[in-house]
Amino acid sequence: MKLSLEKVVQPLESKGGSPITHGYNSLQSPMDITLFSSKGTLTHLFPSHQQSNDRVAAIDMQSNSSTNNQPQTSHTSTSRSSDSGEACGAGKKWASKLLSECARAISEKDSSKIQNLLWMLNELASPYGDCDQKLASYFLQALFCKATESGQRCFKTLTTVAEKSHSFDSARKLILKFQEVSPWTTFGHVASNGAILEALDGESKLHIIDISHTLCTQWPTLLEALATRNDETPHLKLTVVVTASIVRSVMKEIGQRMEKFARLMGVPFEFHVISGLNHLGELTKEGLGVQEDEAIAINCNGALKRVEVEERNSVIQMFRSLNPRVLTIVEEEADFTSSRYDFVKCFEECLRYYTLYFEMLEESFVPTSNERLMLERECSRNIVRVLACDEENDGAGECCERRERGSQWFERLREAFSPAGFSDDVVDDVKALLKRYRDGWAQVLAQGDHESGIYLTWKEEPVVWASAWKP
Amino acid sequence: MLEKIMATEEAITSSNNGFVQNPVGGSNPPALKKKRNLPGTPGKLTNFIFKNIDSSIYADPEAEVIALSPKTLMATNRFLCEICGKGFQRDQNLQLHRRGHNLPWKLKQRTNKEVKKRVYVCPEKTCVHHHPSRALGDLTGIKKHFCRKHGEKKWKCEKCSKRYAVQSDWKAHSKTCGTREYKCDCGTLFSRRDSFITHRAFCDALAEETARVNAVSSIHDLTAGSINYDLTGNPLGPNMAQHFSSIFKPISSNDNQTRQGGVSLWMNQGLAQVSEAMGNNIQEVHQLRSVTSSGAMFGDLFAVSCSQTPPSDHYQLNWPVFGNKILSDAGASQLASVPSLYSSQEQQSHRTAPASMSATALLQKAAQIGATSTDPSFLGSFALKSNANKVQDASKFYGLYGSSPVSTNPASDVESSGNDQISTLNQLQMYPSKRQKIFQSDQDSPSGGQTRDFLGVGVQAICHPSSINGWI
Repeated sequence: MKLSLEKVVQPLESKGGSPITHGYNSLQSPMDITLFSSKGTLTHLFPSHQQSNDRVAAIDMQSNSSTNNQPQTSHTSTSRSSDSGEACGAGKKWASKLLSECARAISEKDSSKIQNLLWMLNELASPYGDCDQKLASYFLQALFCKATESGQRCFKTLTTVAEKSHSFDSARKLILKFQEVSPWTTFGHVASNGAILEALDGESKLHIIDISHTLCTQWPTLLEALATRNDETPHLKLTVVVTASIVRSVMKEIGQRMEKFARLMGVPFEFHVISGLNHLGELTKEGLGVQEDEAIAINCNGALKRVEVEERNSVIQMFRSLNPRVLTIVEEEADFTSSRYDFVKCFEECLRYYTLYFEMLEESFVPTSNERLMLERECSRNIVRVLACDEENDGAGECCERRERGSQWFERLREAFSPAGFSDDVVDDVKALLKRYRDGWAQVLAQGDHESGIYLTWKEEPVVWASAWKP
Repeated sequence: MLEKIMATEEAITSSNNGFVQNPVGGSNPPALKKKRNLPGTPGKLTNFIFKNIDSSIYADPEAEVIALSPKTLMATNRFLCEICGKGFQRDQNLQLHRRGHNLPWKLKQRTNKEVKKRVYVCPEKTCVHHHPSRALGDLTGIKKHFCRKHGEKKWKCEKCSKRYAVQSDWKAHSKTCGTREYKCDCGTLFSRRDSFITHRAFCDALAEETARVNAVSSIHDLTAGSINYDLTGNPLGPNMAQHFSSIFKPISSNDNQTRQGGVSLWMNQGLAQVSEAMGNNIQEVHQLRSVTSSGAMFGDLFAVSCSQTPPSDHYQLNWPVFGNKILSDAGASQLASVPSLYSSQEQQSHRTAPASMSATALLQKAAQIGATSTDPSFLGSFALKSNANKVQDASKFYGLYGSSPVSTNPASDVESSGNDQISTLNQLQMYPSKRQKIFQSDQDSPSGGQTRDFLGVGVQAICHPSSINGWI
């Protein structure tokens, strides 16, 4: 039996207990079944490379023997120091180096190198360690799935696991906590709410179409503003469109809470959920229940990236056909679209973005935060989806999240809408918002011809883009 | 009525800062003397009290109506020193400043002749205060009004980016911004308003409250029209939905001397009198509301004493529902839901308020509405006290009117005998001396009289010996 096999299949104390180990389990299962079979070779990975079989086998033996002397290590951060005698060494950014190398190896189909690097990463990675270790762990999972073409299955497993432990309470706790420690989501909320309030000022019948997955946390402050801003409180109809199944299950409860809250605020309120859609392209005016005398605002928070790349323009056209007063777009600043046929490039971009995100999470939450762990797991699912699921939709409808940068969205949106800047008041509101959080956050106005909107920056790196559009 | 543009200002008594208030738009202005503060006296409290007796056109039909131009109204520091360019709002201040430059200065004296009262209208045509009948009596007032309503909001709070047109408003806000803490019903504290609002919307405390309300109102609907219940579960008279007092209708099991019966006895005696007195109006509903709100506290003890599972009747279900909650949860949110029982009777305007009212607020409201002659401070203190302990308070109330399981309650002295109440009441801090008089004088007053305690129950209900004894 291979030593590496033993390493991989660690006896886990509390199997099937808490969700924490669930993820761990699923991480392990694809590996020990497929990668290190009893035959001990990687031939099945790249069946075309028959001639290198012997070489692979030889190297396998080599790596096996060289590590025979080493004791079994557990997947904790303490293992790092003992194992990193290998090539890369324990540098500051060892994870990104190793991961990039591995990605390149995969694209070059250099199986020995792949094997080596995967093994090394496996040694060093841990989802409970520091930032590098976490990145290593989650990206390793994706790389492995890519190498073994088991991405779809892995993703499904991860999603099922996540859904099992998902409830209204946990989701609410998660998002509220996240909003408390980081302006990642609230930035978009404040900017969008400001734009919406200004665009719909004076109207008496409002209809907001909300396509987002932030569980309606954007709307309480808007409701409060509607109630206190003017003497006459307008009637608000909120239609929420959800596509992710994980969100669907809690929408009923959320709806009830929103209705209660609106009553409390004294705002006449109607709440609808549209959840049967497979993808946004299926939305229609009738389906949304749009009426003639309503003033419409469309709020897309992280929604466009979920649309299939080819369908994005048509979805935007559909929005235009609804003739809204304002369209607010909030998207994360990363580009997984233009490089989707180039694995290495896509991988690099992915790595860059998620490194930033993980670092942000690490600095915002307390070290022992469970919420952060859940957010990281969510990222891991997305990473697997982007890197290892090759555009094959299994019909479940959840498109992988091919993000685009603000400037790219700008080009798309410009076809159907004209950019509307954020007013000074909104910019001030965002500034005041950011002041309430830790240092490191700032906002930057978009500049240039192909730019519009504002960026949220973390340590001077733009991470979230918010913009408003008018017909 | 004259209208002319003023070129200069004069130092009108500036102590009357808070202005406004316009009398009720009626055709007959009250012939009230205009109250004006002496210069130098702090004006805030008196402004509040005499808000309605303002120097408006109603107060003095002879007053001169002045419409200043927007420029004049928004101008600050119009008086400039020629040497250093410093700006002043008043000529007097500039003159005093000029002394410092060794320039000739002259303070304008106030003219000795009778000063004509001036009132100011807002130059903005769409504004309510444009009409002379709604003019404001104070120059500072009209300036601030104009800036606030029709001016550009130039001052912005750093912390929360709230905007103000008047600098003093902004300053006042900045002092308190961020220092205020928001507390949710569930007990969590927030320093940020937006996170408070978002939390509140999803908080369980909000959900529970409404869940109970829904439960109550659904049963309410079920029993509409036919069945009525009493404390002990026996069907009663007319439907609760129609008239609340029916709940408190005397029941045949009055003579039941068990504790439960005691409760019902007291309630029926006291509240029946109350119900007789009341007509079917909102006033009544409010008083009933206050009754039931405290009744809810009784309900909790009632629930405690009820060992059997609550029967499916309406009435009992209500009170133990609230009662149990009082025991287990924050009392404040429970009382807030009680008014929902009245939802069928109340106007819509009352609907939105209850959900957010705490126990303190409810009791105070009951105090305002129910007690016309009762000393408000008593009620206020009572309400404050009630908020302090949740379960303990309930027992205290219980003890106040009947035998109490809590022996430490000083109020238990009260029910020794009806006539001794006055002396024993003296011992209670909660009863100021004024209260005694009420007790003394109104022993025989009809229940429809003006004296009501915080429960809105007639005083005689408390004084009535047999009812008290019914507790014991």
